[in-house]
Amino acid sequence: MSAIQLSSVTKRFDDVEAVRNLDLTVESGEIYGFLGPNGAGKSTTINMLLDFVRPTEGTITVLGEPVEAAEAELRERIGVLPEGFDVYSRLTGRKHIEFAIDSKKADDDPDEILDRVGLTDAADRAAGGYSKGMAQRLALGMALVGEPELLILDEPSTGLDPGGAKEMREIVEAEAARGATVFFSSHVLGQVEAVCDRVGILHEGELVTEDSIEGLRSASDSEETLILTVDDATDDDLDPVRRLEGVSGAAVEGSMVTVSCESNAKTDVISTLGEGGTEIRDIETESTSLEELFLSYTDGEGVVEKDGRGSTPAEPPAASAPEGGQ
Amino acid sequence: MSWLVVARKDFEDSIRSRWLQGLTALFVGLVALIAVVSLRLSTGGETISTNALLGAGFMGLLSGTLVPLIALVIAYSAVTGERESGSLKLLLSLPHSRADVVFGKVAGRSAALSTAIIVGFVVPAVILAAGPLSLDIVSYVGYTLLVSLLVSVFVAIAVGWSAAAPSQRIALGGAIGLYFLFVPFWDIIQFPLQIAISSLPEWVPVSGTAISNALFLLNPASAFQGLTNALLQGQLFAGETAGLQLSALSMLLFWLLAAPLAGLFVFQRRDL
Repeated sequence: MSAIQLSSVTKRFDDVEAVRNLDLTVESGEIYGFLGPNGAGKSTTINMLLDFVRPTEGTITVLGEPVEAAEAELRERIGVLPEGFDVYSRLTGRKHIEFAIDSKKADDDPDEILDRVGLTDAADRAAGGYSKGMAQRLALGMALVGEPELLILDEPSTGLDPGGAKEMREIVEAEAARGATVFFSSHVLGQVEAVCDRVGILHEGELVTEDSIEGLRSASDSEETLILTVDDATDDDLDPVRRLEGVSGAAVEGSMVTVSCESNAKTDVISTLGEGGTEIRDIETESTSLEELFLSYTDGEGVVEKDGRGSTPAEPPAASAPEGGQ
Repeated sequence: MSWLVVARKDFEDSIRSRWLQGLTALFVGLVALIAVVSLRLSTGGETISTNALLGAGFMGLLSGTLVPLIALVIAYSAVTGERESGSLKLLLSLPHSRADVVFGKVAGRSAALSTAIIVGFVVPAVILAAGPLSLDIVSYVGYTLLVSLLVSVFVAIAVGWSAAAPSQRIALGGAIGLYFLFVPFWDIIQFPLQIAISSLPEWVPVSGTAISNALFLLNPASAFQGLTNALLQGQLFAGETAGLQLSALSMLLFWLLAAPLAGLFVFQRRDL
């Protein structure tokens, strides 16, 4: 059974399509990193998983149950760290944890949970005085109550210092080791890279790629960034280049053309540009990092998507043998 | 009983609110003040009964106009406030349905306000009973319970409205509107309405009294007034208005359930 399954899910707010025709499956027991820049639709997707927001089209099942028809009891099996939440400012941290325990009919020891998320010293203070990071820890503690089968964490590292983010990753790994499925979103590749079995990258409401970290890394290893200084080029001049085999993206800024491509496609790129009448003055190459690859999928800094922004995304860069998870 | 867990949390949260603590103090003060003023006005040195105290115009004013106002103020943001701050996400991430949230909040906030009212009525009564006030326990307790019922009904109306309102601003505006509708406006339209009713044409199939009774009952504040008057006259659910009183009580219970249900109906269909 898959822990999460979205089939052709679209969500429209007035005239904005926040999520477009999304198919996504998270298998039981895996750690799935849901990556994308802010505003890509990650939180909308997670809000739909929790029935906070209802899809315009498509179906969603969580732990085998269709979300819209599911009873509230389904959430006894899920731990959630939502995005943009607030604590009950007048109640103490301990009260929050106790409330989660009562709500989930669990028998956890509040002190143990508070200790796990590092709030022992602040447990008896009103949560209204907590910092953003402490509130985040508190909500994580509430999510951990009752040993849930599935953890859904929306930007869990928000407000945490590097040490806190590391503790968060350790908790995620410990939960996965216990057998829980973990689905978490982030806009920072580094947080996902270290722990995830599989990564999906969301951009403008669409899933642009889905792969294991190793798969993504081998894609980035075989990629190079070609930096060309030219006399004059427009974005239109790059269209023939984008159509080339092995090219994942191209962009122009002033007299600088950057092309993200496989090593063996470089000569084709240069000759195609030359044939188009662009005079090339200087050539440099750089290897593409995983970070740059992520950027090439998303906000396109330096490199835009093959078909340009907003249209159907092309295949992810070649040479990525998908593995893991399925 | 998930709503009970929500109710308990909401109660614990509400009683820590400065607003509620301030209101409790205000209640204690006002009830004590009314008692002292009543004692001064009575012909010197005599004891007066709590029934006379509760029957005093001031007390009617306190219960009939201040209690609905307090309930609306405390409860109008029950759902919208949490939605806007984001704590509703924390609440609905736990195994609670939206119905649990709405009814849990009605129960929790009613309990918190009833506590404030019971403290507000009991503390002055107990202190003054040691002195010149003769306490009629049965009707005093009955009166306090009726005030608690009234406050719960207005909490239910406010929470229902809060669940349906799309934003905190609209929730506040609506709460103010509901207050003016049920409290001053209802009294203002009574007189012209009575005149209109008395000149009903023949073909109208219901009697003028029936319409006027229905209007009287529909407003929880006036249904409450009817019940307390009967209570203080020792005529609760007895005498010639017994039927009308039962209808008044049913109407209060109807509001208690119908208002949250109506709010829930809208809330169920909405994105957070």
